[in-house]
This record gives sequence, C-alpha cells and structure tokens, in this order.
Amino acid sequence: MNIIEQFKEIAAADFNPLLSRAKDEGRKIMGYFCAYIPEEVIHAAGFIPYRMRTAGTRGTLKGDVYFASLNCTFVRHCFDKALNNDFDFLDGIIFMNGCDHTRRMYDNWRHADLDPSFRFMFVAPHMINSSAENRLEAEIKKLITAMEEHYGFSFSRERLRASIELYNRRRDLLGQIDQLRKADPLPIRGSEFFAIIQALTALPVEESIELLEKAIDFLKNRNVSVPSEVRVFIAAGCVEEISHLELIESSGGAIVGDNICLGSRYFDLQVDRKEEPVRALALRYLNHVSCPRMMNDFRRRIDFIKKQISERKIEAIIAEKLKFCDLWGGELFIYRREFKEAGTPLLPLELELYSGSTGQIKTRLQAFFEQVRNRHEISDELIRTAGSNYRFSED
Amino acid sequence: MLKRKKLKKNKLLRFNIYHRLNLLYWMLRIPWPVYLLMRLFRPLYERKENFLNKRWRYGLLTFGGGLTPPAEMKAMRMGAKALRDSMKGAVKAEKKGEHVVWVEWILNAEILEAFDVASFNTETLNIFGNTYGEEYPPMLIAEAEAQGVPVENCSAVKLSVGSYMMNQIPDPTLIIASSHPCDSSITIYQTLEYLTGAPTFSFDTPYWKDDDSYAYFEENMWNCISFLEEHIEKKIDWGKLKEVLDRVNEINHYLGEVCEMNRAIPCPGTMISLLFSWVIREVAIRSPQAVDMARGLYDVTRRRFEKGIGTVKDERIRIIMWFPPIGFFTYIFKWLEHEFGAVVVADFVGHISTVHIDTSEPETMVRDLAKSQMHLGMGRQCHGPVEFLTEELGRLIEDYSADCVLFMGHNGCKHGWAALKIVKDYLKERNMPTLYLNLDIMDNRHTSEEELREQIRTFFVSNGWA
Repeated sequence: MNIIEQFKEIAAADFNPLLSRAKDEGRKIMGYFCAYIPEEVIHAAGFIPYRMRTAGTRGTLKGDVYFASLNCTFVRHCFDKALNNDFDFLDGIIFMNGCDHTRRMYDNWRHADLDPSFRFMFVAPHMINSSAENRLEAEIKKLITAMEEHYGFSFSRERLRASIELYNRRRDLLGQIDQLRKADPLPIRGSEFFAIIQALTALPVEESIELLEKAIDFLKNRNVSVPSEVRVFIAAGCVEEISHLELIESSGGAIVGDNICLGSRYFDLQVDRKEEPVRALALRYLNHVSCPRMMNDFRRRIDFIKKQISERKIEAIIAEKLKFCDLWGGELFIYRREFKEAGTPLLPLELELYSGSTGQIKTRLQAFFEQVRNRHEISDELIRTAGSNYRFSED
Repeated sequence: MLKRKKLKKNKLLRFNIYHRLNLLYWMLRIPWPVYLLMRLFRPLYERKENFLNKRWRYGLLTFGGGLTPPAEMKAMRMGAKALRDSMKGAVKAEKKGEHVVWVEWILNAEILEAFDVASFNTETLNIFGNTYGEEYPPMLIAEAEAQGVPVENCSAVKLSVGSYMMNQIPDPTLIIASSHPCDSSITIYQTLEYLTGAPTFSFDTPYWKDDDSYAYFEENMWNCISFLEEHIEKKIDWGKLKEVLDRVNEINHYLGEVCEMNRAIPCPGTMISLLFSWVIREVAIRSPQAVDMARGLYDVTRRRFEKGIGTVKDERIRIIMWFPPIGFFTYIFKWLEHEFGAVVVADFVGHISTVHIDTSEPETMVRDLAKSQMHLGMGRQCHGPVEFLTEELGRLIEDYSADCVLFMGHNGCKHGWAALKIVKDYLKERNMPTLYLNLDIMDNRHTSEEELREQIRTFFVSNGWA
C-alpha cells in the first residue's frame, strides 16, 4: 500500500491505528467541529485534535430523533454516530457556532448527556475586523481557561509556541502539495489531496508530518492526469465523501483548486511566529479563506476563486452545498451571478451525505464536462440554476 | 402555477401608505362606526379571500374584524400613522435621492433618528404585502426562488430579495444587518449587499448573554455609528438619540406593563395588540406616535385589568404561542378568542423583555441601546443555546398560567427544528399540551389558513376544550 492509499484508508474511517496507539500510550483526544477552532491550542494542552466526522456512519436512524429532516445530513449522521457511541474514544469535545445546524449539536449533546464530560462551546465571530480579532483572541483564552479548570493543568505558552511550529510545518507541507496541483500533468488527484487532509485531522500531528514528507517524496515525478479532463475548482463546505470527489474525477474532472473546509481553508495562512501566540492564532484563524458564515467577506472569497482560476488554468467551477444549508445556498446564489458574468461555467450541486444518488450526479457531471469541453462561448444554459422550483408565467 | 404580476415601482408599499394606513388613520378618528361596520360586514370577509374582499380582508382582519373594541382600535390608529409616516419617509427619500437605510428586521432603527435619515425595515412586505391580496407575499418569495435564492432559506428574508427584485421597496443607500436570528439572515444580507451594491454594516451577535458578550455588541454599536458617520457624512446627534431613546423607554414601559397585566385571569389584553406593537417597533420605532399607541394600549388594558374584565367574556383556554408568528394569518388571535374563548397570553415576539436605556450620557445610551437590541423578540431567544428558548418558555408557562402551547414550527428556522426534541421533552416534563404546527409563517402555499384552523380546532377538541 503506497502512502496515498494509507491516507485514504485513514480518511475512510472514524478511528485509525495511529490514534489507537496514541490512546494506548495514554494520550488524550479532543473532538472539535470547525475550521475556526485552533488545533494548536488543543495540541498544546496535551490532546490530539480530532475533527468530528461522519465516516463510518450507519445512517441517521437515531440522529433523526434529535435532528429534523430539515437539518443537514452532516449533523444527522454525526449525531447518530455519537448516539451509537462511535466517539467513545474522545476525552473532550469543542463545539462551535458554525451554523444553525452544528450549533445545536452542543445543545443536543448535553440534552442526551453523552460523554465526554468536557463540552465547550467555542464562539467564533461572524465578521472579520479588529473587534472580531480581539473577540476571537478572548475566546481562545476562554477555551484555555476552561481546559485548565476541567483537566487541572497549567497551560504553557512555550508549549503553545511549539505547537504552532508543528502546525505551521504541517500547513507548509500541505501548501507544497497544493502547489503541485497547479502542474500539468498532475502528480496528485484532488480526491487524494482531500483524503490526505481528512486523514490529518484524525492523526497526531507529529506522525502526520512524517507521513506528509513521505507523500511529497512519493508525488515526485508522478503523473495521474487523464487526457481531455476538465480542470475544475470545487467550492463547498462540508465535503467528507472521498468517493464523491472520485466520482467527479471519473466523470472527467480534475479538481485542482478549492475553498472547502478540509481543503484550502485548512492550510491557508501561517500563524505569525513573531506575534504573541494567542493573538497570532486569532489572526490566522479569522483571516484564512473564509466560509460563508463570515458576513463581510464574500468579495474576498470571490477574489480567491478568481485568482485560483487564473493561476491554475481552471476551466469550470463545481459549487456544492448540502441540502438545507442556508449559508452555502446563499453563497451559490452569488457565485452563479458572479461567474456567469465572468464567463466561467459553473455547476451547482445540492447533495446529501451518503445519499447514494451517484447515478444522477454522474449524469449531471458528465453532461457538464461535455459542455465545457465543447464550448466556444458561454451560454445561459450552462449556468445552471439550482433551487428554481418555481417557474413563473408572465401575465 | 403562481402568476407573476407586473407591479409598478413601490406599488405594494404605496397601496399601504396612501390607501390602507391613511384611510385607517382618518376613519379611526371615529372608531365606533368603523367598529360596527367591520362587525356587520364580517361574514363577507372573515372566512375566505375572494375577488370582492381581496384588497380589504387582511387589513380588516388584522384590526380584529369587528372583534377589537373601539378603544383599542383608537390606540392602533396612532400606530397606523407611525407606520404610514415611516414608509412614506422612505419612499420620499428615495424619490429625492436621499439616504434610505435598510435595517434588518430583528434590529430596530433608533440609531438612525440621530442621523436624520430615512430608515426602512427590509422585511416590511411580509406583513404589508398581504393587504393587496394573499398571493402577493408568496409571489415575492417565488420571485426570489426563481432567481436562485435557496428555497430552504427563511421565507421572511427571501421575500426581501423578491421585493427588491420586483422593485417593491425603496432602493437602499446603506444596509444595517446582523448575524441573528439565523443563518438565513446571515446569508440573505450578503446576497442583498451583493445585489444592491449598498455599503453594509453587520452586527456580529454574540452567542451568550454575559458581560463580555454585551461589551462586544456595544463595540459593534460604536462601529455602526462610525460606519454611519462615514457614509452619511454627518456626525451623530446625541440630543436626537436621547429624544428617541427616551421615547423607546416609554414604549417599553407601557408595553411591559401590558405584558404584566396579561398575567391576570382573565387576561385583559389581546395578543394582536402586542404583535401590532412589535410591527411598529420593527418599522416605525422612531415615530412619536409609537408612544401614543403604546400608551393607548396600556390605558385600555389597565381599565380592563382594574375591573377584572378579560379580553374575552368567557376565557376558557390560555395559550402561549411559541416561535415566530404567522404573517399571513394575523387574525388567528381574534379567531381563537371568538371561536374558542382561547386567549394567547404571551408569545415569542410581542412579549417585552428588555432593558431600560440610561439616556444620561452618550456612553450609557450606546451601551444600553446595544443591550436592548440583543433583547428584542426573536433575537433574544435565537442567538444562543437552547436554554434561551426553553427557559423563557418555561417562565411564561408559569407566569401566565398557560393551559397549552402552540408551537409554530416555521420551516426556515433550522436551529428551531434542531432543538425540537429538547423543546418537546421540556414541555412533556411539564405535562403541557402542545400542538406542534408545521408551517411557513410567510408563505401560505405551505400550510394554508384553513389547514391551520383545522389543526388547531382538532387539537382543542382532542383536549376536551372545544
């Protein structure tokens, strides 16, 4: 099994041998929910940060008792796993006010009185400005105090600096792999890249750095390009199903750019080593490629995509949202208008995790890629309109 | 298939300003004949909208359909003037090319009084679109959806996009938004900023209600003032702010007292009045007539309270209505009272639970104004943990001696649906009979008025109350 396959195997499961070994060695694991929670703080407190996931789900039978059918499949699957004790290896959990669905995870977890006993609600601002930077800095300090009080240890700034070094190194290595995605021919598939990041969020950082270095070596002189495939940018929030990304690729797309949570958002920007560490973390986590929950940043998000399009010779955009996600729904509205004007073909997809509707999606992808390949000029038909359930007739 | 009607610029708004609110204001100078006429002709418009009553039905029913006593209607008259003047101000400002500042619905526009610019509540047509006919709000919603606004977004804010796209509200020069009460607001105000190109200030609502959170929101308020000063090119007038906040304190005092009196058995007030006050608060808080209206409602309720009279003669059921109120069926309160002797004694938005604003210094005004914005109905319950929803509900059940709860399961409230199990368990522990309605508060295509009536009727029958 090569290193990429190893990463893929880890990404496909909710628990892995490296975590198991760490647990046996007495290390603690802290679950967390969103790209705005600084892993460095968790690591410096002596925990292995573990991003909450739905991998290994058995469905939503139990989750649906707490969450309604109007809630997204991420929370329904994830909470189902929690109710099935799939996360019983966690020693603590940090929730976040990421969106209306995930913030209620905090409430339902407490209501169901599930383990672990350390449950912290991390409140991240919805704005990017100096007030929000101060606010996030204060919130990180609050998290540190809460962990100190609960676990009875004294937080060390020096350890935090060391953790920042490790995570900066990891981000740097991921950035190096990301740069390879600009190349033509491609040395790495998009699905492989996202599998690496997904795996990293469930691995001890120390081991993961070693694995990433191996991966970079492995990718040298590798060519995985497929003739006539379309270079695409993928815009989305929660993309956990690697098989879905493989479906995009097998339908004729090469994912060479992204703004997803477990993609660019994860490794964008380094933590400034010269700054006071908590302040530096607040600045990094607030200013990385943002998610649509950040109200005053949609223009920067559009500019990020446009820059990637130009740097990576991207021909089309696939913009995805989970069903019932208000935030990404609104974002897609803006993208559709913006990229119609820019002349970039865009395919919006509305998905449900583990829905099994691959046939339908494959057909849409194939048709889209065919149109992109054949196009000479942009046409209205190419800019799909999702959510147009209502059609008007003029009086 | 929903028909798309061509409408002239600001048609729906102008209809309300010049035909309905204006008429109401003038006619209610002599409330008794209006009351009698409304009562006499009620059979013609109460049951269903038709081509004869289409332009009248919603307005008449909102004002009680001849079931609201003249004294109460007289108080509402001042509210009608406040609404008319506020909407008219925005329409005129647009025409003159002056500033029109959109203010998101769970924020109030007091601060704009201190800049002497027109403010406009972006979600106004959720209620006032109905006066032109019940198909108009769904038509505005459908317009937004057809243009690609996500179907799952809250219809209240989808309608704002549709209103803008169909030229039914004045174009903004500035927008003030916030991150509460839900993701729909977060996303739609980005959409509106994108579409209109208007500079936008967004309040970042904290999750908790503790000192740090209030301080952060206060900082937001200062940032908002800087934003307005920069874009309006005018310094804030602290004297004017003091004037409007003194009035807000007065409004809060009167309406708070009305809420307190509604604890009495029988309940002396009717919830439509408090709901109407909430709409005034949303749309026309800056108007001096808003105080007159609040005082008028207080006087009416106090008279009944002192005499031990209820808003209905034979009060049989006391209801807490929880979650956002239904925009297209404002008559629900009077219908419940008339048909079942059922009184909504407290609800999600009409219930006043705010802070007194200390107007002695600019600093205290900004501090308390910020705090009061976090305590507005719907905002205060939705921005944080589930306890903000359940604890207030529990308090109301106790304080208002409620017999049952009507839970408005609004489709757009994803966080509400995600907390439903907790709410259900909470109410079950208290043995509180509850009807969980599944509806869209602004879109009667989802669940119609008739379906709602039927479900509520069945609920009462099954509990032996009807």
